[in-house]
Amino acid sequence: MNALKLHRILEQNTGLLIFGILFISSIGGLVQILPSLNDETLSTPTMNTRVYDAVELTGRDIYIREGCHVCHSQQIRPLVAEVERYGPYSRSGEFVYDRPFLWGSKRTGPDLHRIGGKYSDQWHETHLLNPRAVVPESIMPAYPWLSERPASAAGDIQRKMQVLQSMGHPYSPEDINNAEAALQGLTEMEALIRYLQMLGTSFDASQADAPMEGM
Amino acid sequence: MAIMPNDFWSGWIIVITVTSLLGLAWLVLSIYLLRSGDDQLHEEPVWDENLQEGNTPAPLWWFWLILAMMVFSVVYLMLYPGLGSFQGAFQWSQGGQLAERQASYNAEFEPLEQQIVSSSYEALGSNELAMNTAAGIFEEHCSACHGIDARGQAGLFPSLSDGVWQWGGMPAQIEQSIRNGRNAAMVGWLSALGGEGQLQNVAEFVLSMSDGIDAAHPGKRYYDRFCIACHGPNGDGNPVLGAPRLNDDVWLYGDEIGSVRTTIIEGRMGQMPAFAETLDDQQIKLLTAWLLARNSAD
Repeated sequence: MNALKLHRILEQNTGLLIFGILFISSIGGLVQILPSLNDETLSTPTMNTRVYDAVELTGRDIYIREGCHVCHSQQIRPLVAEVERYGPYSRSGEFVYDRPFLWGSKRTGPDLHRIGGKYSDQWHETHLLNPRAVVPESIMPAYPWLSERPASAAGDIQRKMQVLQSMGHPYSPEDINNAEAALQGLTEMEALIRYLQMLGTSFDASQADAPMEGM
Repeated sequence: MAIMPNDFWSGWIIVITVTSLLGLAWLVLSIYLLRSGDDQLHEEPVWDENLQEGNTPAPLWWFWLILAMMVFSVVYLMLYPGLGSFQGAFQWSQGGQLAERQASYNAEFEPLEQQIVSSSYEALGSNELAMNTAAGIFEEHCSACHGIDARGQAGLFPSLSDGVWQWGGMPAQIEQSIRNGRNAAMVGWLSALGGEGQLQNVAEFVLSMSDGIDAAHPGKRYYDRFCIACHGPNGDGNPVLGAPRLNDDVWLYGDEIGSVRTTIIEGRMGQMPAFAETLDDQQIKLLTAWLLARNSAD
């Protein structure tokens, strides 16, 4: 058959034309997306990657609420300059419990994926209350209300954990039952700092076998 | 190994990719090879007297363009990963490329690193290139707490330019502080002191220690009971515990009675994070040399 005849048939038959368009435009997805969805290596946690506990999860939600991800990425690319500055590049398996992931693509501030442990809790508190107190040239806004609001005000933590559990995050019943107690007495500031301090810490460079692993 | 699809999905990708490439080739070629054919303008209805739908192929340059693109994709898929789990002739991977660049980066700086390893702190301190590099490392990794001028800030993070070293100023001690971090552990003493009066007395005594020990001071007996173990009988401090000297003019958290009181009431848990994983040995040595040079210059 020649292509012009095929063209004519499609052109004169709306149903077939619609089907043809859908079929052709689905090819990219069939090749690119479908295999990834079924690729277990992309949903297997890297090394010590674990679910966020109640406090970290709350901190993460505050991070999202305050829009930290708008100016800070959480993705270190496999480039010498980035690895030298921020640490080991991000592995896909480190994000399996991130829903949604906060990779971002805009760096008004520095990347935060390996921020955990780089500064003391005290530094983070001072910095969030007034960034200029520790980084004079900083253009980051201050977040003073974080230290005034209780962490439990950030939302129904048990419900959040149940939803994540239904999506396959391995929370135990005790984790969920103790969630509210874990937040007792903590401010949003403390929860956010707990989250920041664990960011990127599940990766152990000494355990990374070949440099080609990941990504 | 780079992450690659398993056998089934690899086959899936290969079959679809090759089939659609062949399909596209057939479509394009058959249109152009038959372009002189019979059915360009026939059988179509005519609108508005002379408007007719036709099947005139796109211009020839477009044909060559799409042909070139198809050839490019075939060559690309032979050289680079993309066709299922086939790695391509170049065996390219993102991580592999990083390792390669990292190796050439390391090779470029190896002579300099050797020079750092074999140089003394003094020699490094008088080497302008080394000191500029160290200043850059300091700015990137240390200035957020200690300030860009290394004079400390926020009444929380110590100055590194005043010649006072809470954890010891020997090169090995400074390197240790950078490499493994430091955790100060002063607890709150209000309940142990027993009340506001005692608290005020001790605070005043501690502040007065800079001008010499006043044995008759009412705060001294509390100092001798609670503070002496870490800060020493004369307030000389103890670099092993990170207990600061109290008989000098340097006050980590402020020289007002209020901040001394806060320190005694709440305690202080100053924390220096460990940089062993962030900085390599040469960078730590450079930083130490920079700090030593800075303090001897002042």
